[in-house]
Amino acid sequence: MALFPIYGVFKGDFVPHLVAVDTDDSMQKVAEQIAVHSVGRRVPHKPSASGYQIQIGESLVPLQWLLSKAIGETGLKPLQWVTVDWARPAGEHL
Amino acid sequence: MTVLSRDDWYDIARDVDWTLSYVDKQDAFPEAWTGCGPIPEEAWADWNEPYRVTYREYVRVQREKESGAYAVRDALKRANIFEKLDPGHVNASILHMGATCGIEQMAVTMQSRFCRFAPTPRWRNLGVYGMLDEIRHAQLDLAFSHDMLKHDERFDWCNKAFHTNEWGIIAVKNFFDDWMLNANCIEASIATSLVVEHGFTNIQFVALAADAMAAGDIDFSNLLSSIQTDESRHAQLGFPTLEVLMKHDPKRAQYLFDVSFWRSFRLFQTLTGTSMDYYTPVAERKMSFKEFMMEWIVHHHERTMKDYGLEKPWYWETFLQCLDHGHHAMHIGTWFWRPTLFWKPNAGVSKAERKWLNQKYPDWEDSWGGMWDEIITNVNNGDMPKTYPETLPALCNVTQLPLGSAWDRHHLQMYTSEYKGRMYNFDSHVSKWIFDTEPERYAGHTNVIDRFLMGQIQPMNLGGGLQWMGITPEVMGDDAFAYKWAAEYLPEQRKVA
Repeated sequence: MALFPIYGVFKGDFVPHLVAVDTDDSMQKVAEQIAVHSVGRRVPHKPSASGYQIQIGESLVPLQWLLSKAIGETGLKPLQWVTVDWARPAGEHL
Repeated sequence: MTVLSRDDWYDIARDVDWTLSYVDKQDAFPEAWTGCGPIPEEAWADWNEPYRVTYREYVRVQREKESGAYAVRDALKRANIFEKLDPGHVNASILHMGATCGIEQMAVTMQSRFCRFAPTPRWRNLGVYGMLDEIRHAQLDLAFSHDMLKHDERFDWCNKAFHTNEWGIIAVKNFFDDWMLNANCIEASIATSLVVEHGFTNIQFVALAADAMAAGDIDFSNLLSSIQTDESRHAQLGFPTLEVLMKHDPKRAQYLFDVSFWRSFRLFQTLTGTSMDYYTPVAERKMSFKEFMMEWIVHHHERTMKDYGLEKPWYWETFLQCLDHGHHAMHIGTWFWRPTLFWKPNAGVSKAERKWLNQKYPDWEDSWGGMWDEIITNVNNGDMPKTYPETLPALCNVTQLPLGSAWDRHHLQMYTSEYKGRMYNFDSHVSKWIFDTEPERYAGHTNVIDRFLMGQIQPMNLGGGLQWMGITPEVMGDDAFAYKWAAEYLPEQRKVA
């Protein structure tokens, strides 16, 4: 368990934020911690969306993964961008 | 006894120099300060002043300017015009004083370096007048701001700003520490005299002076105009240096121009772009920031550079795109992070102001309107916590400005480099290029995020950050009009209620 600083950006916002997440956080929790700085502040809520999806580099990362696993699998580095978007129906491309 | 006319003795006086015998030339004029590189010593014989001035003439003219500036100041002190000024405009002047007075003082040091280390006595001679100019500018800012203290204590930041860690000031200091204080004569001359003073100070001093006059702030307009008469004169010192450099080291000339043009542009977007397009009362705006940039930078400054053989910077298309968006990004960003400012930003998005923005920038509504609508909804619902930040924005490791602040949401993109095992982030591929070309120069420059993660900011939250920046409750930024502009967006029935 360790704090891990990332730059989180929510699709549709104009600026990424410094977000301190924990390596034991699920990617779902990481997505929520990123979204809170944009959604309802500069990006409108989207009631029709079923949740979030989260992306590191070009790869979508399962929400149930822990951040520590995502770091191991994707090579995520401190202050690298992590992008959150509204979840899209299966089969729809980013 | 007959007194010689200036032209009878000037050519002898300007070449007065010493033949060194007790020290080596390299010790007296180290490369680290002169920056001459491969330029042969005899090349400097071609360095000719763009204007001629003697000390007697300089003092006479400057004395007249000082008398004029202070006479207007004294008359206006009695006229009590401050109370009648638009709050948006007042805050543009607070921002100007805080962000530029320290630069003027830093420029004294730069000009004094020209006096001592410039490679020709002609340049060293004119450096004396440049140094005296800059002393005058810093003192004018301080004197006029001192008068304003009784109206608004934020004017204290004219003196204080450069002694704090306020994030915007750190970005300004970073550029000028790099290219004014820590640069050799050649670098400083191209970056500062040629690019900043000849190019961009026109934007800040000419445009803002016109807007200030229209807004009824004769005092501030008078101050800006008086300073600009000096800037436009000593800015010309960059041209003979450029001429010599183009003959003997043209690649370096182009590189210095390209780097300093981008970095200056990004800073002036923040300082002048927000003031012109948001803080100045809409009825008094003469031109948009983009229109002014197109006339003074794209047409005038670039044409002048071409005459000397310089190409447009390689990222010219990027610059033109950024001209449509960057200062709008900096504006919504500074307004949203307003507790971190020492001035009160004017949101500038009332219906009339929004109409003007959409006329001047056809993409404005698509890029920025929706974000402001979300903010307006929160203001009108009384959900103020949602209009404030809870963390820091990601920052560029070159410009020190927020990532994303060069464009809009449609162009947000990651630009990174790895150097000695660390990841660095940039606001654009231009800033990335600047870093990648000289990584050792920039790798040690810590932005606010770096300092936060290094534990310099305690406690590690927004409150700790504000304390570290020197922001006190008395000056902490808030909306210039106390959010009254948002009321016109309320549904009709709620307005009546």
